[in-house]
Amino acid sequence: MKTTSRKTDVYWNPITETLPLEQLQELQVKKFKKILKWAYDKSKFHRKLYHDAGLKPGDVKTLEDIAKVPKVEKAMMRDIQRKDPFPYGDALCVPLEEVTEFRQTSGTTGLPVYQPDTWQDWEWWSECWAYILYSQGYRKTDRVFLPFGYNIFVAFWAGHYAAEKIGCEVIPGGVLDTEARILKIQELRATAMMATPTYVLGMADTARKKLGIDPPRDLTIRKITCAGEPGASIPATKKRMEEAWGAKVYDHVGATEIGAWGYECEEQPGGLHINEAMFLVQLVDIETGEMIEEPGRKGKIIITALDRIAQPCICFDSKDVAEWATDPCPCGRTFRIIRGGVVGRADDITKIKGVLIAPSAIEEVVRSIKGLSSEFEVVVTKKGDLDDITLKIELLSEEEKNREPILTQLKDQLRLKTNLGYNIEVHPFNSLPRYEVKAKRFKDLRKHG
Amino acid sequence: MKFNAFALLFGIYLGFGIWELEFHFYDYCERYTMTLREIKKLDTRIKTIKKAAQELKALSGRIPAVDRNAVRILASVKMLEINISDVIDLL
Repeated sequence: MKTTSRKTDVYWNPITETLPLEQLQELQVKKFKKILKWAYDKSKFHRKLYHDAGLKPGDVKTLEDIAKVPKVEKAMMRDIQRKDPFPYGDALCVPLEEVTEFRQTSGTTGLPVYQPDTWQDWEWWSECWAYILYSQGYRKTDRVFLPFGYNIFVAFWAGHYAAEKIGCEVIPGGVLDTEARILKIQELRATAMMATPTYVLGMADTARKKLGIDPPRDLTIRKITCAGEPGASIPATKKRMEEAWGAKVYDHVGATEIGAWGYECEEQPGGLHINEAMFLVQLVDIETGEMIEEPGRKGKIIITALDRIAQPCICFDSKDVAEWATDPCPCGRTFRIIRGGVVGRADDITKIKGVLIAPSAIEEVVRSIKGLSSEFEVVVTKKGDLDDITLKIELLSEEEKNREPILTQLKDQLRLKTNLGYNIEVHPFNSLPRYEVKAKRFKDLRKHG
Repeated sequence: MKFNAFALLFGIYLGFGIWELEFHFYDYCERYTMTLREIKKLDTRIKTIKKAAQELKALSGRIPAVDRNAVRILASVKMLEINISDVIDLL
């Protein structure tokens, strides 16, 4: 047997990345059985979870059998860490002294979850990221700038180590402020960077307005890898970033408790590949839990990290919503694609005035309109028994003369794309909050009265 | 004179042959990453390194510099297993 590929230099591992789906699934079942047994044998939490469900590791023999495995939710992880051993709790599968890395979730949806990793897990993190960065064209010749805080969140830490693994030269832009980071990028002629979409847009804004630097002309960044928010998979936001930097912008998706599981390749196929050699992703109907195999139907992602050992992630209910793409990617990878990336979160997709809406739909509209800044905020409240939705936007100072046509275009597009009418509040440029990490632009105040 | 013409033709023939051989070899490398035999060789080497690193760890005794570096080697070996050894029986 020979492994084939059209261009051998586009794959981090041409063997796994071009493996036919049937063989990939065989690999996934083999690895799933192994990690399930590992967790059953080593963690009190998992043993009890499976025991209560009447499941033994030997009961899982096929891909279909995996549907029987109980799902783990984030709230359960929060409960686990109240138990021993401190501070992780009884889902830990290795002796505490083998843990070498601590990270925690951002706490966007509640109390932060602590994540232990062994050195092997940490190698695995950077291996997952190496698949991502290599597919996006990172090579030994790249000088990569990381403008993030190197703090307690996993964020771009593994991206740093993966870039090193590939052989890139890595510049940690840690405690520098935005202006200093831009000047360092210019001084060192960095060719690539990684940041959240919000920060990518904010940096370009600062470069132009405060430093008189036009990123496409004056800087040498030609590829940007995004994480933390879905923006790089939202066409209007991606376009804004690519124009602001004169660079290709790629998305990636991952989470502290899961790993870096999906990525956009150089072909930018309008979706994200799932690293199916290292993760098992299953889409299930949000309401019924029924497994979704066909393209074009949205479902919730249930995910398993197949090689992570310290605190295994098995059938984790990520709440991320996605749908399978129809066509294979021209890059030749057999890893399946989720169309448009993660299109929302099951707990974010909400009914307003009887209409189901994902916040990303509003972002797509706002950022597709020239004359508006990239910042916005959506506030949903109750007025009596009725839902009320306010959209706060910023008009660029130089576009004041076009205020009326811009607002008309905005209202029309919102009605067309989201089927809702909004109270529009126009705020002065630079007055809405700016975010460096995960932005909170959607505020549903109905539940809080 | 006749001999020289023959030598010239033979030289052209030989040159073309080498070019064609190189062309095919390049084409082969471009289309096929590796043969299964070559991948199996990788797997054998991975197993050898793993065994050596495990032995090194067992022998490290009271030298943390050996023990901890052996742990790191084993973590890297695990990544090689994920990329090669875990897949080999499916090829």
